Amino acid sequence: MASLREQILRRKPVTEMAAETGTDTGRSELKRTIGLLPLSAIGIGGTIGTGIFFVLSEAVPIVGPAVIWSFVLAGAVAGLTAICYAELAGAVPVSGSSYSYAYATLGELVAMGVGACLLLEYGVSGAAVAVGWSQYLNELLDNLFGFEIPEALSQAPEQGGILNLPAVILIVLCALLLIRGASESTTINAIMVLIKIGILIMFIVIGVTGWNSDNLSDFAPFGFSGVTAAAGIIFFSYIGLDAVSTAGEEAKNPRRNLPLAILIALVTVTTLYVLTSLIAVAAQPTEQFEGQEAGLSAILEQVTGSEWPATVLAAGAVISIFSVTLVVLYGQTRILFAMSRDGMIPELFHKVNPRTLTPVPNTIIVAVVISLLAGLVPINFLAEMTSIGTLVAFIVVSIGVMVLRQTHPELPRGFKVPLYPVTPILAILGALWIIQDLRPVTIYVFVIWVGVAIIWYFVYGRTHSHLGRHEHVGLAEDTEP
Amino acid sequence: MTIVVGYAPDERGRAGLELAAMLARSARDQLVVCTVVPAPWIPGVGRIDEEYQAYLDDLAQQALDQARADLDTDVQATYSALHARSVPSGLLAVAEQHEATTIVLGSSSAGIFGHVALGSVSDSLLHRSPFPVGVATRGFRCGPDGKVTRVTVAYGGSEQADDLVVAASVVAGRMGASVRLASFAVRPLPPYTAGVGRLADDALVGEWAASLEAAGQKALQQAKDLDPVPHPLEVVIGYGRDWDGALDDIEWRDGDILAVGSSAVGLAAQVFLGSRAAKIVRHSPVPVVVVPRAAAQELAGQ
Repeated sequence: MASLREQILRRKPVTEMAAETGTDTGRSELKRTIGLLPLSAIGIGGTIGTGIFFVLSEAVPIVGPAVIWSFVLAGAVAGLTAICYAELAGAVPVSGSSYSYAYATLGELVAMGVGACLLLEYGVSGAAVAVGWSQYLNELLDNLFGFEIPEALSQAPEQGGILNLPAVILIVLCALLLIRGASESTTINAIMVLIKIGILIMFIVIGVTGWNSDNLSDFAPFGFSGVTAAAGIIFFSYIGLDAVSTAGEEAKNPRRNLPLAILIALVTVTTLYVLTSLIAVAAQPTEQFEGQEAGLSAILEQVTGSEWPATVLAAGAVISIFSVTLVVLYGQTRILFAMSRDGMIPELFHKVNPRTLTPVPNTIIVAVVISLLAGLVPINFLAEMTSIGTLVAFIVVSIGVMVLRQTHPELPRGFKVPLYPVTPILAILGALWIIQDLRPVTIYVFVIWVGVAIIWYFVYGRTHSHLGRHEHVGLAEDTEP
Repeated sequence: MTIVVGYAPDERGRAGLELAAMLARSARDQLVVCTVVPAPWIPGVGRIDEEYQAYLDDLAQQALDQARADLDTDVQATYSALHARSVPSGLLAVAEQHEATTIVLGSSSAGIFGHVALGSVSDSLLHRSPFPVGVATRGFRCGPDGKVTRVTVAYGGSEQADDLVVAASVVAGRMGASVRLASFAVRPLPPYTAGVGRLADDALVGEWAASLEAAGQKALQQAKDLDPVPHPLEVVIGYGRDWDGALDDIEWRDGDILAVGSSAVGLAAQVFLGSRAAKIVRHSPVPVVVVPRAAAQELAGQ
């Protein structure tokens, strides 16, 4: 029996990971076919749409019009971490999420912790996105048919409802699609991205007519701490930038294109976000944001005094957020699948249905948990939990980059972080800075959540780990990548 | 035993005829080559369409003459032109009359060369025939002494699939052909934006393949007690991002036919092509025989 220290530090050999994904099927090789622009488009598409549609009503009340600086700050941190992510993704020649990277570089215990963070980045963000969707659905129904889903069935209990039914239904629909084996094709994805960008641009162009400089007079009522606190919530809307890194294996000339694509995506997204939020804070006073539902639609309606722009925006949001939810749910089931394959969580999660070729019990469990969250927990808490989980996962990735530079300097890296070690250190500091300004309750819940994951590891994962059973301990040391 | 061939006087007919000849040669069956002529309308006083009917009958006879010329002499065949309200019902009537083992057709001329394409007749039969239905690939030729050398069973791992495996093994054994089970793993690449890597589903597919391979081997165990036992018996898995890729992924050769079971949603006694089966049929590079569940059970029961 391996010692405890060996157990928690054991790493999954890269060769074994490659074997799991590749040789089983003989279909592992991906061609380097993606150029700079499509790569940037992946980053833009992956990022826009998670948060911007509803994050303003959570963020503006605590920061005021200075929310645009929160977007810049969150964007900068997201960019730094995405660059670190790109190096790690290139150095560890396996396909997967930051869970797999952590398992290959930092050991089993850390991987478990990252897995817990990813449950927040995917599962909880899926719930938040679904709640945002339900707001826009209500707006759309109201504008089109003059009918609204009653408060009791469209709000979390804390906000005076019983259950957010539309959000629950959305999750269930997505889960059914996933169980049937649906997947979002590149074309659909591209259309969804165009819809999202289109409605944001529409918002900016139409919204500018409602510009009122008086609303900007008290620019930063809560000072700089307000900016960082809001950045914590907003960070949520930058999730997905790492999609560029995930596509790194297929990128042409990754050394040049990866950082450039991340930069292009980041600048595009941040510009859109800053313009959107600027228009929003110029259109209405800070107090009005509090509790505003389907915010962007509401502002448009107020600015134009007519319903149709709001309706178009709501329709676009309803369509595109649906696809975001589908993709997030998909990601969550596959991360749990990988964890279950490694023995970190029960085997049930990697049972594959022979007919549909999908992990059915896994998908059902994920859908039930996420729909409970979406139905019962208010959106600001969900958004903050997502942000903190993602930030901590990104910190681990940045640390992973530095650890791997020390332990495996010789690994061929498709892409290296520029200005090492300044970049990863800045990424870590930036993330910590944002985290410390989150609400205490968020930080406590997060610490408890990670604590639960660590206890789970010692009770279950440590003994069930497949690495432990095969006695592979230490192989990572002498594995040729 | 008899195989009914639906014959039309063009290249479609030829492909179907070749497939029927290959099956008949392998199983020592005889053929009934059929051309269906639209039945006359209710005869009126004037019999105004008499001339037209005569013309159609003449065309049918010409078609059958063509078939006679095309068919290799080593296969026993009878030729008949018959009147029916529709081609599928005409073919079914002949098949019932001769207690046929299979109805064979060619592919639609709208399809891709070398692939199976369902036309209106084959599509209709594939949703109602109580007999197995064979469809040749477009432009299929088996050569003057072509025989079935291998029967590939599209295998989905369900219990009904076991009957099909045994049934196909019985037939293959009689024909002296080998049997292989083919399963197709079709998973599109996950979206980039999921952030879990583009190969996230490969591990899942690997797991699925392992379980299906085990189930397939178990199904083949039942075939090992048969007499004559077809050799060799194997399980193969085709991987692909789409159905086309998955079917191309496994090796095919001349003398192959692909057996596909009928969907569990349809009536047991009739062919009813399921959604996945339809995809397999449409992308098959070799002739396909679709077997109704009842026919598979009956054969397996023997």
